[in-house]
Amino acid sequence: MKNRLRVLRAERDWSQADLAQRLEVSRQSVNAIETGKFDPSLPLAFKLARLFETTIETIFSDEV
Amino acid sequence: MNCSTNNPAKRRYMWRFSVTMLLYVLFLVLAVWAFVHRHPTGPLAWVLAVLPALAIIGQMAAFGLYLREEKDEFQVALGVQSMLWGIGGTLVVTVVWGFLENFLRLRHLDLILVYPIFCALSGIAYGLLQLRYR
Repeated sequence: MKNRLRVLRAERDWSQADLAQRLEVSRQSVNAIETGKFDPSLPLAFKLARLFETTIETIFSDEV
Repeated sequence: MNCSTNNPAKRRYMWRFSVTMLLYVLFLVLAVWAFVHRHPTGPLAWVLAVLPALAIIGQMAAFGLYLREEKDEFQVALGVQSMLWGIGGTLVVTVVWGFLENFLRLRHLDLILVYPIFCALSGIAYGLLQLRYR
């Protein structure tokens, strides 16, 4: 699944480790989500959306 | 398994794993000593023979608890994936060896080796997954 995490992170000048800390997950997990290798669960997707003060659809897209 | 110390679930898992490993060694030494020197019979013999296996069951329970307590869903997915590779690999190794044993009269594979084979294959799978998701 495509996502805009890298862009959203860059806008806030957060590293993967910063985001991982805020999400209470490992940096490896953030990297796996960001590179599209791992699709987060709905609860984690909502957490991301809340953190970036946006909607899930703004972050993730199911376009191939 | 990655032993990063800032993850409480992993810390608890490593602690439980170490305890069950220690129990395994103690139970194994006790069982071997008892069967060599005391020749137990009846229910006591059954209990002593099964003791080391109980520690291994404890190890599996420790991993189950880790999967339940781990808050990071990606780490849970890594654990489950490596376990599935371990289970699949163990089935492949044992079934292939079983046929080789039957048709080519190869040396019998002792069943107590099944768990170490599973652990080794799961460990290899976990390492490879770590490399993939670096």
